[in-house]
Amino acid sequence: MTEPDGGPADPTDLPLLLQALADGELDAATSLALERRIAADPALAAEQARHAALREVFARLPRPPVTEAFQARIAALAEAPRPAAAPRPAPRFDWRAMAASVLVTAMLASGGTAWLDRRAAPDASAAAIASSHRRSLLAASPIDIASSDRHTVKPWLDAKVGLSPPAVDLAASGFALLGGRADVIGERVVPALVYRHHEHLITLVAEPRTPDMPLAEPVPEAAGGFALVHWTDPAFAYWAISDTERPQLDAFVREFRAATKGD
Amino acid sequence: MDNGAALSGPSPTERFGAVVLPHLGDALALARWLTGNSHDAEDVVQEACIKALRGIDTFAGGSARAWFLTVVRNACFTWLARNRPRDLVLVGGLNELDEEAGASEGMESPEAAVIAKADAAALERAIAALPTHLREIVVLRDINGLGYRDIAAILSVPIGTVMSRLSRARGQLMRDLGGPR
Repeated sequence: MTEPDGGPADPTDLPLLLQALADGELDAATSLALERRIAADPALAAEQARHAALREVFARLPRPPVTEAFQARIAALAEAPRPAAAPRPAPRFDWRAMAASVLVTAMLASGGTAWLDRRAAPDASAAAIASSHRRSLLAASPIDIASSDRHTVKPWLDAKVGLSPPAVDLAASGFALLGGRADVIGERVVPALVYRHHEHLITLVAEPRTPDMPLAEPVPEAAGGFALVHWTDPAFAYWAISDTERPQLDAFVREFRAATKGD
Repeated sequence: MDNGAALSGPSPTERFGAVVLPHLGDALALARWLTGNSHDAEDVVQEACIKALRGIDTFAGGSARAWFLTVVRNACFTWLARNRPRDLVLVGGLNELDEEAGASEGMESPEAAVIAKADAAALERAIAALPTHLREIVVLRDINGLGYRDIAAILSVPIGTVMSRLSRARGQLMRDLGGPR
């Protein structure tokens, strides 16, 4: 289709080649030859500029995000209908593989419909936190701000949510701080910290304690097939949730409380 | 269905998580531009997800995004046939339309600087005004950023057809954006 000088044999192909160049679909040799022709031909240069201009306008198009509600709807589809093999440990730390294995874990633990029932259960907060944790495992990244540095995570949460729990990195105890996220629980936006323990993620959701909330020692709960621990300190009410084993989650809670005692 | 194969490979649910879920955004964009609104788009994509989950075994590797978007596109056309049959009128004559691809190219195109001034709302109107078979290509290429090869696979047409339709679609967008407003 091209002659030795890089020009198309058929002149009607020229606009298509220009377009392919704009789309990055040409190989290097053809691109080079075509770029030489463009340099020598103002009409071709004008057409190339039009492509660039149109691309600029496309970049202004807002791209609506996939809503959390919709993601949850689709995730529920995969859980409901068919039985599946037991989850295998993820060989590498891979978000997608993890998300998938968590789906299976959650399904085996609760059954697809049990999760739906759960949403109507009285403890709406726990269920909302569970589905938020689940969604975070499905998202491309479970965190909005990735940093193990509390001096990065805390100001980000302060700016985004208006408050932040103590963001301590517990990497020394095996719980690495991955970052933070703004979660929506019911109607409220709350800060969440995300920790990693081996291949599992732990989401720690914090909500400012109101005067009517009694101080409470950690209570083990479960929601949506995840292990959950709820407790309060003088400043915050906390929910820690994970697909990890209960003893590991309890260990995390102990470490976190010990590390934040002085705060 | 849970025999030895389930132990050696990922389960359907795992495959669904890896193949479909990462591409929901692209699926919604395509469905939104084919159905005309976000609400119907969510319903159509959900329908497509059910089909994808059921047919996940037929995904034989390659581009997961292209495979899933093919399912979404089919669901969109099924939805259009049921709800907006008039939008599909043009499809019957597509081959002839592609033959006379050069017809509109004689018309003068506006200056790049004029096009570049257009805002997002003007572009949205211009995209909405494209016939379905041109609009879907623009969405796949310019909004979702797919390559020609993937688009050709999704539409089951030769690459040359993708290129000529894309060229006509962009020509019309440029004239719309550069014309008097």
